Amino acid sequence: MLEAFANGFSGLLAGFMHLQISNVVMIIVGCVLLYLGIKKDFEPLLLVPIGFGCILVNIPLANLMEPHGFLRTIYDAGIMTELFPLLIFVGIGAMTDFSPVLENPVTFLLGAAGQCGIFLTLGLALALGFTELDAVAIGVIGACDGPTAIYVTAKYAPHLLGAVSVAAYSYMSLVPVIQPPIMRALTTEKERMVVMRATRKSVSKTTRILFPLVITILGGLIAPMGLPLLGTIMLGNLMRECGAVERLTKASANEIANVVTLLLGISIGATMDGKIFLQKQTLIVLALGFVAICLDTACGVLLGKVLYITSKGKINPLIGAAGISAFPMSARVVMKEGQKYNKKNYLLMHAMGANAAGQIGSVIAAAVMLSVLKGMGII
Amino acid sequence: MKIELTSPIPGKIMKVIVSVGEVVNEDDEVMKIESMKMENPIYAPAAGTITAIGVKENDEVEVDDLLLVIEEGG
Amino acid sequence: MDKLTFGVTMLVVGMGGTLLTLGIISAIIALMKKIFPYKKEEEEKA
Repeated sequence: MLEAFANGFSGLLAGFMHLQISNVVMIIVGCVLLYLGIKKDFEPLLLVPIGFGCILVNIPLANLMEPHGFLRTIYDAGIMTELFPLLIFVGIGAMTDFSPVLENPVTFLLGAAGQCGIFLTLGLALALGFTELDAVAIGVIGACDGPTAIYVTAKYAPHLLGAVSVAAYSYMSLVPVIQPPIMRALTTEKERMVVMRATRKSVSKTTRILFPLVITILGGLIAPMGLPLLGTIMLGNLMRECGAVERLTKASANEIANVVTLLLGISIGATMDGKIFLQKQTLIVLALGFVAICLDTACGVLLGKVLYITSKGKINPLIGAAGISAFPMSARVVMKEGQKYNKKNYLLMHAMGANAAGQIGSVIAAAVMLSVLKGMGII
Repeated sequence: MKIELTSPIPGKIMKVIVSVGEVVNEDDEVMKIESMKMENPIYAPAAGTITAIGVKENDEVEVDDLLLVIEEGG
Repeated sequence: MDKLTFGVTMLVVGMGGTLLTLGIISAIIALMKKIFPYKKEEEEKA
């Protein structure tokens, strides 16, 4: 009898006995993510489920990420199959109004320049000794686009998934802090003061409906490996612009996106097991991700300067910073920064254009990257 | 001289801060327009007296819609 | 393939390809705006 008591009681203590220092650290990390999400309003929709998932997976003996654990089931069903990021993309397409970039198609180039950090960081990661595919996954943090980063990493470097997604989402919310100093350092006072008038609507409905179709077909032919990404975001956008399937548009932008965000967040958190996450490598990934976003901003602003010169001073180089796809934070940063130097300057719509181009740019960059890898026989 | 302030961005008027007859300085905040879920302050283009206001709160505005008229100087 | 070749290829072909693709898209959109110009009545019909 007494022995049974003791045994039964030991069951309640087993969790504590198996708690390792790495678990304790990760539970604290999870709490920090929750704090950032709840108190600091850093991407709460993602950081709250990620932080909680991280806590769950670090409680010993519950085995939530072992076969048949519920987190494992969600992870296998949605992340390993790449379904979650793709469903999110349908929602992003349905939510995003691309007309600011269609008003001024030259801003598509800024959306390309904002992806430069991906490729530069990839090179940096290689130089630091990461394998080719790991370097690709680290570089893609520079897409500044959560679902793209998760899609690529889950497919080709799943062991880095936790680090890459945490970097992608936390830096995205730090865009308002990271970008302004770089923007100021690379432009002159005169350039920052350039006034750009917003244009009256000039995009017809036909153009807005044809846009997703053309991008899908053309982009798909150039970079077939990225078609899942491109195709889903464009499907969402076609549904939005055609206006014929309002129910599907609403469902994609709200219900589906919300449900998937929850499942995505919790399963990303579940990859943050202390044994895997607490390595020097993770810190390097976080550092490189930061570098990637800085380089993106710098390249965007530099191309902005080129456009400033070629347009004979009509384009404000600040909008180049919105070429990264942190939508719409980065456009807001540009608007605020521009107004700081000239109160009568409302760059918002132009910055939104560059920012929407950045959305397309990050997907195209990832697609091109995968197709180049395929061409070289690496994947 | 009359100066017309037209809307620099499309959006919804969140707040009209000034009223007709009020004297404003250049770069004083006169309105707030909500655009792309962001609150955008709109500043006076010149110093003077507000002689007309073309919008009211919760109006949807397009680019180039008239917001207000300022009689410069005075 | 050594890592240097890989890195440089990714930078040149990858970034070049991205710029080129978006450049083409930009040209096509500019063309589409010419072919299907915006008309004021259109919005009211919709």
